[in-house]
Amino acid sequence: MIRAAFARLSLARHLRTKLTVLYAGLFGVILLLISAAVYSAVSNAAQRQVRGELTASGTVFDRVWSMRTEQLRQGAALLSRDFGFREAFATHDQATIVSAMENLRARFGIDLAFIVGVDGQISAADPGKLRPHADELVQAFYNSEAPAGVYVLDGTPYQMIATPILSPDLSGWVVFAARLDDGEMSALERLAAIPLDANVAHKTAAGWTLSSGGGLTDRGSLNRFMDGALAAKARSPRGLKTPAGAAIGLVKPLPSLTGKDGAALLLTYPMARALAPYQPLLATIGLTGLLGLCLVVLGSWSLARSVTRPVSELDRAVGRLQRGEDGHVAVESQDEIGRLAESFNLMATEIRERERRITHLALHDAETGLGNRLTLERALAERAPSDGAAVFVAVLGIDRFAHVRGAIGYAMAAQVIREVGERLAGLQRDGVVCRLSSEVLGLVFAAEDEAAAEARIVLLLGQLEQPLHIGGDAIDVALTVGLARAAGAASVEPIEQASIALDQARAAKRKVAFFDAAAYGDPSSNLALMSGMLWAIRSGEVELFHQPKFDLRSRRVNAVEGLVRWRHPTRGMLRPDLFIPMAEETGHIRTLTDWVLRQAIADQAAMARLGHQMEVSVNISGRLLGDHDFADFVDRTLSQAVGRICFEITETAVIDNPTMALELLDRFRAAGASISIDDFGSGLSSLSYLKQIRGQELKIDKSLITDVAESQRDALIVRSTIDLAHSLGMKVTAEGVETANTFQLLTAMGCDAIQGYLIAKPQPLNELLIFLREDGETRSYG
Amino acid sequence: MRAALATLLLGLAVAAPAWAGDLTVSLRTPAGKPVAEAVVMVAPQAGAPRGPIHFSWPYRMAQKDMTFVPFVLVVPVGADVSFPNLDPILHHVYSFSPAKTFELKLYGRDETRMVKFDKVGVVSVGCNIHDDMTGYIRVVDTPYAAKTNAQGEATIAGLPAGPASVTLWHPYQKTARGERVVAAAIPAAGVLRLAETVDLRPAPLKHGKY
Repeated sequence: MIRAAFARLSLARHLRTKLTVLYAGLFGVILLLISAAVYSAVSNAAQRQVRGELTASGTVFDRVWSMRTEQLRQGAALLSRDFGFREAFATHDQATIVSAMENLRARFGIDLAFIVGVDGQISAADPGKLRPHADELVQAFYNSEAPAGVYVLDGTPYQMIATPILSPDLSGWVVFAARLDDGEMSALERLAAIPLDANVAHKTAAGWTLSSGGGLTDRGSLNRFMDGALAAKARSPRGLKTPAGAAIGLVKPLPSLTGKDGAALLLTYPMARALAPYQPLLATIGLTGLLGLCLVVLGSWSLARSVTRPVSELDRAVGRLQRGEDGHVAVESQDEIGRLAESFNLMATEIRERERRITHLALHDAETGLGNRLTLERALAERAPSDGAAVFVAVLGIDRFAHVRGAIGYAMAAQVIREVGERLAGLQRDGVVCRLSSEVLGLVFAAEDEAAAEARIVLLLGQLEQPLHIGGDAIDVALTVGLARAAGAASVEPIEQASIALDQARAAKRKVAFFDAAAYGDPSSNLALMSGMLWAIRSGEVELFHQPKFDLRSRRVNAVEGLVRWRHPTRGMLRPDLFIPMAEETGHIRTLTDWVLRQAIADQAAMARLGHQMEVSVNISGRLLGDHDFADFVDRTLSQAVGRICFEITETAVIDNPTMALELLDRFRAAGASISIDDFGSGLSSLSYLKQIRGQELKIDKSLITDVAESQRDALIVRSTIDLAHSLGMKVTAEGVETANTFQLLTAMGCDAIQGYLIAKPQPLNELLIFLREDGETRSYG
Repeated sequence: MRAALATLLLGLAVAAPAWAGDLTVSLRTPAGKPVAEAVVMVAPQAGAPRGPIHFSWPYRMAQKDMTFVPFVLVVPVGADVSFPNLDPILHHVYSFSPAKTFELKLYGRDETRMVKFDKVGVVSVGCNIHDDMTGYIRVVDTPYAAKTNAQGEATIAGLPAGPASVTLWHPYQKTARGERVVAAAIPAAGVLRLAETVDLRPAPLKHGKY
């Protein structure tokens, strides 16, 4: 809790302040405790002394009181027992009685003397003021053998005694009384060893009243104090609160004449007076304490400063180190802080060294020591295109690096990369060279424009492809280069573009190529395309077009190939080769194919209703030749077809997993589909698969058909293929037939069916129906 | 001789009328202790016989062992009372009572002083040099008076039958003048027993602690 309070102090943010406040606080607390102890001891001693004195004074007062009582009684008795006086009283000789009494009163110096008869008759010099008290006095005298005590007359307390007048019967009392006034009390105060205040208090209807008329304290406090003191068993001095401060009071009850209203002697002594002799001692202790506190504050402040200055120094050094600046501090002292500073300096040095190493590692390729991709990105960011010179990124890939590495080993391969990189750096001194991946180097350089950049790269390639001499062997390297222009601040894009350009160059079998955005498309928008495909299928954006096949035997169209078209709302009509490969990658091909198959069956039924019995071909992706679920779907669906359905597959589709693919083809066949080998002659046509895929049809790719009329060799291949297919029991369809020449040539070669623009373009079902109706009339293509 | 004669006369009076009854009064304090030295005086409605009154006890108040003996003495009006000093010291007997004021200056052992009491009433007798000494002489004008014994009883015989007022007096009785009057019906024959309560002040201690 104290710590929390400490933390709240804004001053406590400094160690120096904390220490000072702590020490000063502790000293202050100790000082307070000592002061309290001393004050308590002094105050107790003073109290004890005062209590002793009060008790002693009380005892003295008891003695004085009884002596005065005795004195009064003797005076009264002297009168009451005089035979002449008694005779005068018995004979009611008032004048004589009063004169005798006054005579004695004057002789003893007594304040008040009077006689009360048993009948209540008052005989006195001034009987008037006594008469109202007569009955009370007679009652009181009757009730006591030796009546004596305090009696209040007109608000003034009197010490009063009475002696009986016997003649010989009790016939009255001689009463002597002494006023208990300030004078009396002063006499008593003089008897005490300490200057105490003496008072007689008597109880009235309104409470306790002091003979001095009050002034000591208020009535309420006085009442509480008196009643409390009288109720207590021990007659010991007690504390009393007065307006002038605390006091100690002793109450000695005094006998009351009537026995009902109490009277008491109150001796008081103010504590301030009792403590007065100790004031110098207390003042000395206080002053010494304050002086000590100042010294502690100064001392702890200066000590804390000496401790915290080097700490603050270290604090600032840590701040510098954080910002990457020099974090060394000057070592001055030999103590723990000095040693800490030395260690800190050592640490700062090590940290900077480590940081340098980490930075180097972050920016360089560990294997070759060349810069890495990050270096290239930085270089790109630093080189803003200046006037008349653009910045270009070249990505240089070593061709067939895997082969080279396999031949010469990893270490040597890395050396090849390093050598090429160093050679490149040597040739292009203003460029930045780095290693982007295992066999790819990057170069950032400036050139006037694309043409200059490409010329520069071609020039460099000539130098770079000189054989390397590594470990005594000469190694040939071939490089392909992708180029991209850095347009603006985007630093990553040009590197990626150049990397893509490298792939594009390799695909185009060129040495150098610029990034071709149009050929690349936009991968991110293609991805969005896929996610939109499902919706497109449901909403009818995807349509099934049909391209007729002309049967050369029956001289009419008896089959169509279903081809998917996507009428995209923003991108226009999309060709299948734009979204089919993507659908194959993302798995959407299954959904698409399912739809195509159902649509083909529906369209076939629609054509049949108009009297056109058509075989409908559907392209089946190689991806689906591993999907048993799809085969199940085919089983269920094909039974609904009104005519023959043909599955067109490519040979390459079978390559991945031939066993399963062939098994599925058997299932398709069993379900009623005929199998057609598509695009024969375009890819890696394998005779072994041709043997295994027992199809009903072979479709010769248009790349062979296009030049069949002009090229002797193509014509030979086509003729041989047709013969081969016929030998294997397959019909042959030629794709991409566009001219009448080709048509006649293929007819001559014994081709079974013709597909191509010459016959018809792929078209929607309604257009196809029109085409088929016209086809009923005689038509000639050759 | 004269006493014997008085007794004889009284005896005759008691025996003579057939319509006379006796009264026995028994006095006790509220605490139940017998009250001795109390004087019982009967005033029959029929009135008292005329003629000189004589009581059976001597009219004497001695000073013995610094006390008056007896403490209370009942005498008829006009009686001469002797005050013999039986102590070896001097006494100064006096009275300031209105019924009889007298002063017998110091007199010694075996001296006797005579005082005639000629007024009805209570006479307080004291000694000027011994404050504790107090005695009382009740001067009466009726033959029907007696003093209770140690058992608190007093008997008055030969009272005329009929209603009567009975006065009970003790110097310390807490009533006005130490008196109390009760009514009684005296039977024609036999004894009327009257039990009364008398509340007393404590005897004043004259040698108080002063």
